[in-house]
Amino acid sequence: MAESICRALRDGALEGELAPALTIKDSVASPFALQVFSHVLSQLFSSILAGKSQSRGLVVVSFSRSPSFYLDLLKNKGTDIASSNNQIQILDCYSDPLGWKDQLAGSRNFTALSNEVLVSSTAIVFREVKHMDKLYNSIIELGKGLVGGGKIRFSIAIDSVDEMLRHAPVSSVARFLSNLRSHDQISSIFWLLHSDLHEARVTAVLEYLSSIVASLEPSHQLANGQRGDLENFSLIKHNSKKGKFHVRFKKRNGRVRVMSEEVHIELSGINFTSLPSEGAINQGLVPKVQFSLQLSEKERIDKANVVLPFEHQGNGKPIQIYDGRRSLVDGKHERPFAAVENVQTNENCGSGEIIYYRDSDDEMPDSDEDPDDDLDI
Amino acid sequence: MAAAKTRTSTFSRNLSTAAPSHGPGLKCGPNGTVFLSSGIPDLDKILGGGFPLGSLVMVMEDAEAPHHMLLLRNFMAQGLVLGQPLLYSSPARDPRGFLGTLPSPAASKDDKSRERDPDQEKGLRIAWQYKKYLGESQLDGQRDSKHEYSNEFDLRKPLERHFINGPRIDCVSIQDCPDLSTLRDRCATFLSQFPRISCAGRIAIQSFCAPQCAYSNMEWDMLSFIRYLKSMVRSSNSVAIITFPPLLSPSFCKRWQHMADTLLSVKAIQDEDKELAQLLTGYQDMVGFLNVHKVARINTQVPVILEATTFSIKLQKRRYLVLECLNQAPVDGSSGTSYGTSGGWSSSSKTGNLDF
Repeated sequence: MAESICRALRDGALEGELAPALTIKDSVASPFALQVFSHVLSQLFSSILAGKSQSRGLVVVSFSRSPSFYLDLLKNKGTDIASSNNQIQILDCYSDPLGWKDQLAGSRNFTALSNEVLVSSTAIVFREVKHMDKLYNSIIELGKGLVGGGKIRFSIAIDSVDEMLRHAPVSSVARFLSNLRSHDQISSIFWLLHSDLHEARVTAVLEYLSSIVASLEPSHQLANGQRGDLENFSLIKHNSKKGKFHVRFKKRNGRVRVMSEEVHIELSGINFTSLPSEGAINQGLVPKVQFSLQLSEKERIDKANVVLPFEHQGNGKPIQIYDGRRSLVDGKHERPFAAVENVQTNENCGSGEIIYYRDSDDEMPDSDEDPDDDLDI
Repeated sequence: MAAAKTRTSTFSRNLSTAAPSHGPGLKCGPNGTVFLSSGIPDLDKILGGGFPLGSLVMVMEDAEAPHHMLLLRNFMAQGLVLGQPLLYSSPARDPRGFLGTLPSPAASKDDKSRERDPDQEKGLRIAWQYKKYLGESQLDGQRDSKHEYSNEFDLRKPLERHFINGPRIDCVSIQDCPDLSTLRDRCATFLSQFPRISCAGRIAIQSFCAPQCAYSNMEWDMLSFIRYLKSMVRSSNSVAIITFPPLLSPSFCKRWQHMADTLLSVKAIQDEDKELAQLLTGYQDMVGFLNVHKVARINTQVPVILEATTFSIKLQKRRYLVLECLNQAPVDGSSGTSYGTSGGWSSSSKTGNLDF
C-alpha cells in the first residue's frame, strides 16, 4: 500500500530508535522502481512543504540521474521549487562522481560546463563517491544546512544504491546506511535498488538494513523467461504497463505486515489499486501442531467448580455409596441436593456435573471386581 | 503409612535444593554439568536446566524481527542481577547504550500465593478416604532457591543503574574493526579472569556477521574466531551466546550451525494472517517463533529429543517473556472439517519450514 509507505516515512523515527528505511526493489521483468521512487519522493516532499511530516527538509543523493530531473519532476507535480529552496538539497553524484572533470579542468585549463543557475543553488556536486565517510559527512552537512542543528530532522532519498555499490564494497555501503539510520537528525531514508544487478546476498543485506521492503513483480510470469516468443509478446506488453507491488513492513512489535497492490503506469504517473483477488501471501509457515493439553484460566476455574465424586461426602454425614440401583429419577433429585449441601470448598457452584450411569443392574454392590464402588455421585 | 512426618517413605530424593556450592546463579545438572540460567525460565525448562557452563549458544536471527534482542536482554540481565561478569559486543557505535534497555527482575508472583489460608487444602484434592493420611506439604522451600538461579524479567522496567555500572561489565563495538583480533583479545582477557569454579562469566555477541562490520566478508576468519571462542569458553567457566543474521553463504551457515553446542533460531510472524490465526490458539498474543534445533550435551553421548521444537514467543501482559508450545485451535465443527481432515491442514500445500 503506497499510502502506508508514505505515511510511515512521514511519521519518521521515534526517539532512540533507528529511522525507518525503505528499499524499493525491482527487476527487469517489472522495471517500475523509478516511478515508485518518484511517487514516494513527491509525496514526501509535498508533506514536508505542508508541514505534515516529522522531517523539515529533504536531501536527495542522486547517482543515476541529473539533479534537473528531480527538480523538473517536482515542478510537474505542482510544487514550487524556487520558494522552497531551503527545504530540498540535492547532492549531485551524477555529474562527476570520481572527480575526473576536475582533474581534466585542472590539467588543461578547461572551463567546466556551466550548470543552470537554478540547479546550482540546490545541487552540490560531490566528487568522491568511493569514500563513504566523506559522502556521509557531506550528506549530514547538507541536511544540517537545511534544517539547522539540534533536534530538527530531515529525510534522505538515495537514487539507486546500485551506483554506490559499483564504487564501494558492500560492507562500507552497509555501514554508511546503518550510520545514517542511527543518526539523531534523520527522520527517514529510502533508496532504489535493481535486484538483478547484484548477487542475492547484496539484496539480502539491503533488505536486512531496511524496515520496509517494497518489491515490484510482474503480474504475469513469463514462461521459461523467454522473451522472443510470440505467445509471450502479449504478456510482455501487459507487463510493461502493469505490475504487482508487494510490501513487507517490519513492525515494532516484531511482526511482519505483508501487503499487496496492483500498479499501473500511465503517462501522468503511477496508480496503485488494490489487488482484485485476495490471494494469500502465506509464507507457508504452518507447522504441525499438537492438541492443547493446558488449560486456560477460564477452563481452570470451571474445572475447579466441578464437584468430584469423592469429595462431597465425609464431612460428618454418614457415608453413602451409590450402587447404581436407584432409578434415574431419584438419582436426579438426589444429585443437585447433595451438591448444594455439601459444597464448601468451592465458592461458586459452577455448572460442572458428572453424570454416571451404571453399566448393568445385574451386578451386586461392593463387588470386588468393580472399582466404581467408591463413587458416590 | 506414617503420618505427620516429613517423609512418607524411606527414600528421599535430593532435589536441586542443594546449597549452590558452586556460587550464585549456578545449578548442578546430570553428568557433572553445571547450569547457568538463560534468564527465561521457560527456556531453562525446555533445555533441561539452562545453558551448561562451557557451552556455546548460537541464535540464528530473522532479518525481519528483533526477537534475538529479547533473548539477549534476558540473558544479560540475568547475569548482571546475579553479579556474573559480562562481556557484550555489538556492531553499534555505542554498545553501552544497549545496557540501558535491559529489563529488571519482576516482583515475585510467589509472594502473593504464600498468604493463602493454611487451613485450606494446599491445592491438592485428596479423596475423603485418604484425608487422614494427609502429610505435610513439601512444596514450600523450593521457591527461595529458585531466585538464586533464575528470575523472571519484566521487560517494561529497566534494570537499576547500579547493576549496569558495575565493574565487571565490558563492552566492545565491532563495527570499525578491520579484523577480529581486537575482539579476540578482549574475549581472551575477559575469560582469563575466571579461576576454577568460583564465578561464572557471560559473553554476549550480538549480530556477529552484521553487514556493516568490515570483517563480514572474511568468512573463514569468522569461523576460526568462533572455533577459538568455543574452545576458550569450554575450558573456562562461562557461557557464550552469539547471534547472527541470515546473511552468510549457505555452506558457512551450516558450518556455524555445527559449531554451536546449543542452537536456537527465531522467526518472525506475519501480522493478520487469517490462516495461521485459525490454526493456532493464542495467535493474537504471539510475537514470534523460537525453534530449538540443538541442545548442548556435554559429558554424555545421549542426545536430547524434545517433544516439540517450535515454541511461540509471547509477551504476557506485555512484560514477561513466555515460551509456549504451539497448540492447535479447536476445530470449528460448523465448518465441516473433521478430525480426519484437520490433520491434512498442515500437510497440504504449505510446506512448513518450521521443524518439528
